[in-house]
Amino acid sequence: MKHMNRRQFIRTGATILGAFAASSITVIPAYASKSRIRHFWWGNPGRDKRTFGVISLFNKKNPDIEVIGETVAFADYFAKLSTQIAGRNMPDVIQQGYGTFIEYVRRGAVTPLDRYTGKLLDLSNMDKAAIRAGTVDGKLYALSTGANVHMALYNKRLYEAAGISSGKGFDPYGWTYDDVKRIGVAVSKANKNSVYGTDDNTANYQNFSDFVTQMGIARMFSDDGKYLVPVEIVEEYWHLWKLVRESGATPPGKASAGLVDPPMSEWGIVTGLTATSYFWSNQLVGAQALVKDEINAAMFPNTSKKIPGSYIQPSQFICLTRDSKTPDAAIRYMNSFVNDPEITDILGLERGIPENMLVRRALKPKVTPTEAKSVEYFEKIQDKTAPLPPPYPPGANEIEKTFMRIATGVLLERETIPGAAKKFVKQASFILRRAG
Amino acid sequence: MLSACRRNGPGYIFLTPWLIGFLCLTIGPILISLYLAFTRYDIVNPPQWVGLENFFYMFTMDERFLKAIRVTFTYVFLSVPCKLVFALLVAMILDKGIRAIGLYRSLFYLPSILGGSIAVAILWKQLFAFNGVINTLLSLIGITGPYWLNDPDYALYTLVVLSMWQFGSPMLIFLAGLRAIPKELYEAAEIDAASKPRQFFSITLPLLSPVIFFNVTLQMIEAFKAFSSAFIISRGDGAPMDSLLFVTVYLYNEAFAYLRMGYASALAWVLFIIIAIFTAIAFISSRYWVYYEGGRS
Repeated sequence: MKHMNRRQFIRTGATILGAFAASSITVIPAYASKSRIRHFWWGNPGRDKRTFGVISLFNKKNPDIEVIGETVAFADYFAKLSTQIAGRNMPDVIQQGYGTFIEYVRRGAVTPLDRYTGKLLDLSNMDKAAIRAGTVDGKLYALSTGANVHMALYNKRLYEAAGISSGKGFDPYGWTYDDVKRIGVAVSKANKNSVYGTDDNTANYQNFSDFVTQMGIARMFSDDGKYLVPVEIVEEYWHLWKLVRESGATPPGKASAGLVDPPMSEWGIVTGLTATSYFWSNQLVGAQALVKDEINAAMFPNTSKKIPGSYIQPSQFICLTRDSKTPDAAIRYMNSFVNDPEITDILGLERGIPENMLVRRALKPKVTPTEAKSVEYFEKIQDKTAPLPPPYPPGANEIEKTFMRIATGVLLERETIPGAAKKFVKQASFILRRAG
Repeated sequence: MLSACRRNGPGYIFLTPWLIGFLCLTIGPILISLYLAFTRYDIVNPPQWVGLENFFYMFTMDERFLKAIRVTFTYVFLSVPCKLVFALLVAMILDKGIRAIGLYRSLFYLPSILGGSIAVAILWKQLFAFNGVINTLLSLIGITGPYWLNDPDYALYTLVVLSMWQFGSPMLIFLAGLRAIPKELYEAAEIDAASKPRQFFSITLPLLSPVIFFNVTLQMIEAFKAFSSAFIISRGDGAPMDSLLFVTVYLYNEAFAYLRMGYASALAWVLFIIIAIFTAIAFISSRYWVYYEGGRS
């Protein structure tokens, strides 16, 4: 009896195992007549909705291709991409940023697009600057999905409460750090210190990179991987913001120390902690959606010498990866993404200002009032921007993080400014040496 | 031999799903990471053998590694004793035979289930925000609370408190241990007029020592491996000023943010060896302080 039981038991087990094996076989896809491609991006709910809209439109227009969208938040994007690279199963089309794509080009994770241009890939109406931005060593690796530039966002109502508006004690396209302090103090006072006039940018790496360019240093990195920013400029930057902080225009240093590189939901202008925050032009639309008061755009502040510091750069790229099995289909998708006006109708300006002249023209009459501000901003800053520096070398991302970490020490007054500046430049040089 | 095979064969067949998982998803990656620890590996290109370079760099040049070690050790040596003392305290209260003990047990165990989750880490962030619940309570008694999470002096302690709050599983084990102590020992002590503290130190602690040893070892290993709450609260990179830079957080960054998989593997192995050493110390020292009823075999 016992013996029988066991035999039955084994037979049952074997059946289950067999079923298990059979079910795993069915997972292997049958050869489909459609080319399947995967598009992977980092996003937010708004961007995801728009991008999935693009995908279903493209799939409808191209019955022989099926695009599958995959999305995660920015913080998880590169970790997930890393594991996909290691597993040799990267999606066909991936999103990259201007600060990151060079590392993937150098490592061979993305492939050049040149052999498709003029055939499946039409670049005839793309802005030359956008094409240049995606070119490394003479080869095109990345298509810009929109132009982006630094933007200060200010709360119009809180400024007006202090008697300040564009043209009245305030030039959004030419204000200086002294103005930031003056206006910040006035806004803080007018709102009875319930709101601070401005974010404290001590740990804002984007503002720092602007300032470096404003000080006449066109490039932060040399071709042979040296860090070109002198210690004095780092010191001067932190001194500048120390003055603003001590005037009462910003939240206390300890509060700002918790707001280093925050997600949009924690921006000063979004939570109402401050009246001015400093981020990117493509984020104006997203931030306005979270704030009741009207948000207006200004450039990042400058010194009295007015050397341009901000530069227009691709907000994001799409790249073709090494692992794509059907590159032709992927290229057709990428081509539609940047050239098809119907697709841009869905995308709006959420990924930046389109780089295709015809698409831009088609989109113009359809923009929302907030998007119109973004368009107007781009027009007004055209002659006030610096040329785009070459793509950053490997290690640039780590330097940015290091800057934020050391600047947090400055905000908390755990380090003297000269000591912190020296430490930062030393570590930046070391990071470049190690990465190179 | 053959009959043993016959006898155990079916067992192994039934084990295969687990066995395959264990070999491919656990043992395999562990061995590969041991190899990678001696290489430079950026994920895209094949690993390059560099010998002991990673370890040499770690111990001679890497200041952040030293910080990470300091943070991890501080956390382990604060959180484990705090948590266990607290767990024992609650277990002793529950052991007194209060009503609805099942309800309390479940309630107290709940945080341990939730503890590792992302949601709780985010909740913690809200509680300890400058205008969060903790500071609001403090302000009621006239204290202006600090910026708990922005201040390198305090940030780690909020995580120690978080781990204390997850006292549920050691508490349950303590409770079982307390129940196993023969009641007649206490009765005898009562008759001899031993005070309560005396009973605790002469009966409860010695008889509970195997359970304490078990809890210390497990909790210590857990604490060395702590990751998700520190990762969430420090927004991924150990901020403010590396005060939450656990070794686990550091190696995650090295691997996935900076694509130094080889160096990250080396860090993981060093952490593993540290855990092994401390577990060994716990086992060796247990000879001198753990009391097994009926002597050890």
